[in-house]
Amino acid sequence: MSAKDLASNPIYKRRLWVNRINMAMSFVTMAIGMAFLTWILITLFGKGFAAFGTALFTQMTPPPGAAGGLANAIFGSMMIVGAAIFIATPIGIMTGIYLAEVGQNSTVAKLTRFINDILLSAPSIVIGLFVYAVIVAQVKHYSGWAGAVALAIIAVPVVVRTTETMLLLVPNSMREAAVALGAPQWRVVTMVTLRAVKGGVVTGVLLALARISGETAPLLFTALNNQFWSADMSGPMANLPVVIFQFAMSPYEEWQQLAWGGALLITLAVLVLNILARVVFRQKTN
Amino acid sequence: MAFQVSLGDDAAAVDSPTKIELKHVNFFYGGFQGLRDISLTIPEKQVTAFIGPSGCGKSTLLRTLNRMYSLYPGQRAEGEILFNGKNILDAKQDLNALRGAIGMVFQKPTPFPMSIYDNIAFGVKLYENLSKSDMDDRVEWALNKAALWNEAKDKLTQSGLSLSGGQQQRLCIARGIAVKPEVLLLDEPTSALDPISTARIEELVSELRNDYTIVMVTHNMQQAARVSQHTAYMYLGELIEFTPTAQIFVKPKDRRTEDYITGRFG
Amino acid sequence: MSHSNSFRRQDAIFARTTQFFALLVLATLAGIIATLVIGSWQTLTQTGPKFFVSDVWDPVQNLYGGMAPLWGTVVTATIALLVGVPLSFGIAIFLTEMCPPALKRPLGTAVELLAAVPSIIYGMWGLFILTPLIASIQPTLTATLGQIPVVGVIFQGPPMGIGVLTAGLILSVMVIPFIASVMRDVFETTPAILKESAYGLGATTWEVVWNVVLPYTKAGVIGGIMLGLGRALGETMAVTFVIGNAYNISMQLFEPGNSIASSLANEFNEASDPAHMSALITLGLTLFALSFVVLSLSRWMLSSLKSKEGKRT
Repeated sequence: MSAKDLASNPIYKRRLWVNRINMAMSFVTMAIGMAFLTWILITLFGKGFAAFGTALFTQMTPPPGAAGGLANAIFGSMMIVGAAIFIATPIGIMTGIYLAEVGQNSTVAKLTRFINDILLSAPSIVIGLFVYAVIVAQVKHYSGWAGAVALAIIAVPVVVRTTETMLLLVPNSMREAAVALGAPQWRVVTMVTLRAVKGGVVTGVLLALARISGETAPLLFTALNNQFWSADMSGPMANLPVVIFQFAMSPYEEWQQLAWGGALLITLAVLVLNILARVVFRQKTN
Repeated sequence: MAFQVSLGDDAAAVDSPTKIELKHVNFFYGGFQGLRDISLTIPEKQVTAFIGPSGCGKSTLLRTLNRMYSLYPGQRAEGEILFNGKNILDAKQDLNALRGAIGMVFQKPTPFPMSIYDNIAFGVKLYENLSKSDMDDRVEWALNKAALWNEAKDKLTQSGLSLSGGQQQRLCIARGIAVKPEVLLLDEPTSALDPISTARIEELVSELRNDYTIVMVTHNMQQAARVSQHTAYMYLGELIEFTPTAQIFVKPKDRRTEDYITGRFG
Repeated sequence: MSHSNSFRRQDAIFARTTQFFALLVLATLAGIIATLVIGSWQTLTQTGPKFFVSDVWDPVQNLYGGMAPLWGTVVTATIALLVGVPLSFGIAIFLTEMCPPALKRPLGTAVELLAAVPSIIYGMWGLFILTPLIASIQPTLTATLGQIPVVGVIFQGPPMGIGVLTAGLILSVMVIPFIASVMRDVFETTPAILKESAYGLGATTWEVVWNVVLPYTKAGVIGGIMLGLGRALGETMAVTFVIGNAYNISMQLFEPGNSIASSLANEFNEASDPAHMSALITLGLTLFALSFVVLSLSRWMLSSLKSKEGKRT
């Protein structure tokens, strides 16, 4: 096949065109994807910033048609998400340790790994149903705790997955060196391997935090909402996602504007947490 | 202690026209210079071997001949490489056309994830529109050339991965030949193979030299001695010596070449 | 040595403790399934399989059939994949094969970050921006595409902008970052040497992607699509805002409808009758079962690619 024949080879010409067209389409899809996503972000930032002001952070959620802020919802969200991550972190890390260091290829470990992956993407609204049935229906009222448990169930798989992945990155030679000193396994894990991947585990917790900060569906049936300031985790609690949902669906403009403000707050929190997770991870792996 | 090398029957270099000529070729990986001022001529329908310790630039040199490095941003070559008298380092060079004319076989067998038949038909279809029976003939011809027909003829529809390592490598050679290139580049084609498969590939290379210009990188000096007519010894990105194979192993001109082939280092 | 004896005991405790937490994860799943089954018992025993083929949803007469939300779930997820998969594929090709190296990381990170944006944001954008837009172009679509015989019916319906199509489109925008980043990751697992051998024959970038990269990563690509499907099926917030909350089975994509998740979000808190609640939980069970199957397939596909990768290198 000499180069000279090719220039006039019709098959070759057609191939080059097919390639050009497909590569151009790939470029166009990237442009379309990016355009939609920037469109969404521009809308969010535009409408969200319009709602920003001291009132947003200092006043309570208003009754229909009145002005107000999101102070109680922001506070409630922080309480619920904080409690959730507090519950989820130890469970996630311990399970991750079990999968990577103890169970490894045992049946229990394999099954747990599989189930964990399913829970990682399971519909969050179903988890809301579950917590409703086991907590809300039993104590007969909605509560911040119920919301926290629901979010914890969503956070655990994220922590498990990252902890295991990070632990598996530790070279076996490091474990062997510690074992060779005669250390029992629990010391090897807690003092050596876990310490070696501290940054990775923090990354997992940050990602879990980001994941649950914006979750709305499971809170609908658990924490519900509360128009007032409440620090009582055993009663219904205001929280950003549910407030955003109710306010955005309402016909009142003041409410809709607050919803955009809340949406921007959540998105900023999620993005900051994600970027932070990446920075921690990159510093750790470098 | 002299390192004994047995030269193959084909080791004698015959005068033949130049197929590829490199003039002052420099190569850079970003800021690192991988090749320094390489000039050599590759004769037509002969086997030219590049030898040298690992990291000497022999694979890099091979990859300039079909511009494979152009896939990777940051890698660039300077100088001139004349193929049939045309400089292929020219920015306007059509890379697909170049690679259609200069085939390549890699260190590890790389069958595509498709049937044996389709592995070969894939390349052919890039350039020719053959009828089913013509394509069958071409596949058979290529597999025959690569000495694989007898082993593969009953399982053409099976995945290329179902073959053994040595067979896979011959499949890759068949795939390269099927396109009917003028030159075949072999990048340590036997480094992942057992001795018996290696011997078969070496036999095949000697056969193929009747029809193709072959350039081969090898870390195995005996292999260079057995199958090549010309040998280039490279060291730290420089071409130290380029002579007929018969001469380089018997009477190297350069001290460094002698050290290498007598096993004093490398 | 007593030392080693006590070490052994400590390690046994350590193993048991960590295993306890792993079992807790398993127990959560068992708990979810058990609660859903118990909750839907009334519907499953009294209405039985008829629940899934009946399209009546009448809380006043206490008659419930789950076909309408099931239909809405399947249709919205299908639209999401029909629109989202080709776009994701293009984006993944761009990121792996075409992107200038300086942009590769920023664009890849941008796509990953967009996968992290909470779905409620997509829902709000759909409600406030996409819905009016669709409402404005809808009469034109109905007047043109809607007149085509047979398939025209899908472009008919009230011009409100809210409906199954809008929900599907929002979902597609939402799943694109998911599917695109999985596809990019699996494309990157193709060994360079395999791609080089195709380029070595003179193949074009497109031919390398289509004939080498795609067949090599087939399982992973399907796994990524399944993962996107799993997300689309169970997504609540992005859908609830724009689907219209109507129990409707219609080929007309501009008609309002309901998905399982949106039915739950809209009605669960107000359901006071046990039959109503049980019907809703049965929907939840159906959704969970559906996602479970899809996500299991996805995991299986993705891990089979991983093991292939292990064997080859």
